Amino acid sequence: MTALTSIANAERVPAYARDLNGIVRLLTCGSVDDGKSTLIGRLLWDASDLYEDHRENLQRSARSAGINGHLDYSQLVDGLVAEREQGITIDVAWRYFDTAMRRFVVIDSPGHEQYTRNMASGASHADVAVMLVDARHGVKRQTRRHAAILDIVGVRRVVLAVNKMDLVAWSEERFRSIEADFAALLGRFGFTEAVAIPVCALSGDNVATRSTAMPWYSGPTLIEHLESVEPGMARAGLPFRMPVQTVLRDGRDFRGLAGTVSAGTVRIGEDVVDVLSGRQARVVRIATMNRDLERAVHGQAVVIQLDADIDVARGAVLASPQSPPTAATRLETQLVWLSDRGFDGDTGYLLRTATDLVPVAALEIQSVLDLETLGRTPASHCFANDIALARIELSRAAALDTFAANPGTGVFMLVDAVSGASVAGGALLAVQGATRAGKAETFMLTHAMLERGLCKDLGTSARDRQEFRRRANEVALLLAAAGVPVELEVDDQSSRR
Amino acid sequence: MTVALSHLDLLEAESIHIFREAAAQFRRPVLLYSIGKDSTVLLHLARKAFWPQKPPFPLLHVDTTWKFRDMIAFRDRTAREHGLELIVHVNEEGLKRGINPFDYAPSVYTDIMKTQPLKQALDAHGFDAAFGGARRDEEASRAKERIFSFRSEGHRWDPRRQRPEMWWLLNGRLGPGETARIFPLSNWTEKDVWRYIAREGLEVVPLYFAAERPTVERNGQLIVCDDERMPLRTGERPVMRRVRFRTLGCWPLTAAVPSNAADIASVVAETLAARTSERQGRLIDHDQTGAMERKKQEGYF
Repeated sequence: MTALTSIANAERVPAYARDLNGIVRLLTCGSVDDGKSTLIGRLLWDASDLYEDHRENLQRSARSAGINGHLDYSQLVDGLVAEREQGITIDVAWRYFDTAMRRFVVIDSPGHEQYTRNMASGASHADVAVMLVDARHGVKRQTRRHAAILDIVGVRRVVLAVNKMDLVAWSEERFRSIEADFAALLGRFGFTEAVAIPVCALSGDNVATRSTAMPWYSGPTLIEHLESVEPGMARAGLPFRMPVQTVLRDGRDFRGLAGTVSAGTVRIGEDVVDVLSGRQARVVRIATMNRDLERAVHGQAVVIQLDADIDVARGAVLASPQSPPTAATRLETQLVWLSDRGFDGDTGYLLRTATDLVPVAALEIQSVLDLETLGRTPASHCFANDIALARIELSRAAALDTFAANPGTGVFMLVDAVSGASVAGGALLAVQGATRAGKAETFMLTHAMLERGLCKDLGTSARDRQEFRRRANEVALLLAAAGVPVELEVDDQSSRR
Repeated sequence: MTVALSHLDLLEAESIHIFREAAAQFRRPVLLYSIGKDSTVLLHLARKAFWPQKPPFPLLHVDTTWKFRDMIAFRDRTAREHGLELIVHVNEEGLKRGINPFDYAPSVYTDIMKTQPLKQALDAHGFDAAFGGARRDEEASRAKERIFSFRSEGHRWDPRRQRPEMWWLLNGRLGPGETARIFPLSNWTEKDVWRYIAREGLEVVPLYFAAERPTVERNGQLIVCDDERMPLRTGERPVMRRVRFRTLGCWPLTAAVPSNAADIASVVAETLAARTSERQGRLIDHDQTGAMERKKQEGYF
């Protein structure tokens, strides 16, 4: 494995400023009772470059609280005043630490059932999850619930930290039995890597230092394991996708499509397709402010110039023509309901994709997942913390993939059109293009209708076209909210003069 | 063969992505430029995000009139060199009342000379989104911040009612009366900021480099007397010490550290080996428990 810029760095940057080898985002889940905050605090204390004043603060409050001998490592993580008062984690907190090898981002998420939505949103950013259980209690219903949430948001690597081993007399038998329960549980999910590690967070055994109390355990310590995780590699081999964020010009002949590569690789000379317009063009330049590139890979923010001016704008996805996304209007989704206000058929919703925002024509909740039995209960409504299957119809096509095929373009947020709130986040299970059958009752909002009145002040500049799309979206939204099934005419330059 | 990007490359790309999303989704954004190292990185990333165009927003500096003179000179030169509009806003009312960091508690001073004028300026210009250089590694309540952070009418932050952010989807749709704060450096650490300044060869305010400066010691903190307004106590005399700053703010409220790091290489080396956090030098954060959380709720960045 080669780090592109480390090579570049080596030429012009001295050793002190050299980059770390990638970033690993680590979700921790479990409840306070399992010792989650203590475990994270311990990781920071033992393995990281924690600052001296933070260490002293902790030692000072340990002295004033009079806890004999032990520091309260959990104080290194709990943030808000409200949380300290209640002694729980409510919201996701972000912590950063470096080992000699790499950057770790700890996403500390709440474990309580009433905060499932917070855990799901935290987990959506994670490369690996550390699930915590108390050695005395083993794998519980909560562990199953957490595994289900991780699976849904796409976490593929999990670690089971079996904590408080000191309280079960460092028993190998106890650990092996929990490990077996864990393995049985995981059979139901799509994890690609799962390991169990016996630890004691309070004393630090097998967190960053090898335990002498458990000579029977020969596997890695938690830190050793985390340092061996390959960061964010999963999307490198997928078909190329770059959702277009904006169009940038130099005032002369350069018209660049700016965006972040969400999957795969693109090279100069390769063809890319925009499925919304059906147009294809060749990449002639991949530019950044510092220098031009031969290729752009997943994670890079670039400006791409094509050989033909195909009127691609924000919302489009540049993609590999061999396996393009779908210009989808009908979606089968699995979503986590985030808002305190439950699903409401009278509310106007918008679908936010990577860079597109599309009015939802219809949304139908089909079932809600029972996180204990993992069975599905038929439902037509859902509320905060529910994980639901839902069918969504869009008022115009968006470039989308299934989550399984290409995660970056296979996810969405559902937005309340009036309050702006993010009411749900979801993954696409199936995507389908428009079918002409059964559309007789759908109102087709055409460019001609909009040009006659509402948009007659707009010309053909990029800014005006963007404003045109914005107004079209808003009209479609109002119609959808009023109960009129509406479809927007596909945004195709040939239909607009 | 797979290709891995280094952590600074990933952070840079993420910040550029955030800038582009915000510029596309908000009607009238502004970049809150506070002159320090974080603002320097923020502005550099904004330039990268919109190259070959200029960033499509002005810079806003809320001037308390107690900034180091070097900072003001650097600010004006930076805006001029990049050809960017610079809006400087002062709370004239506070100035008239003589609010200053010596006679008023840090919380009162900060509210009147920083938080209030920030709100005034955002309202007066109709900005619906403001980029800031805050990082989650700075402080406990910042660790819970979103990248797109929403403020209700009156610019209040409610930590209990934050919008969830999932995957890389950024939802910038405003509700009635709402405005947003955008934090492109959310996932950067202090060390990253310095590494990046070194890597990109960025110029920063000279106060970050060690030099002989007139200082007085108060409550164990070294305060540099930047101008004649320093009220000296009986028997107190400024002493020349070789110091530099890890963080820059209003000079009476920002402690210097003894240092010999006089160039970027030694500053980065010193930061990577540092044993204390930078906020140690920010006197306003120690005012009371949960100080930052409370200030943020009232509209502080």
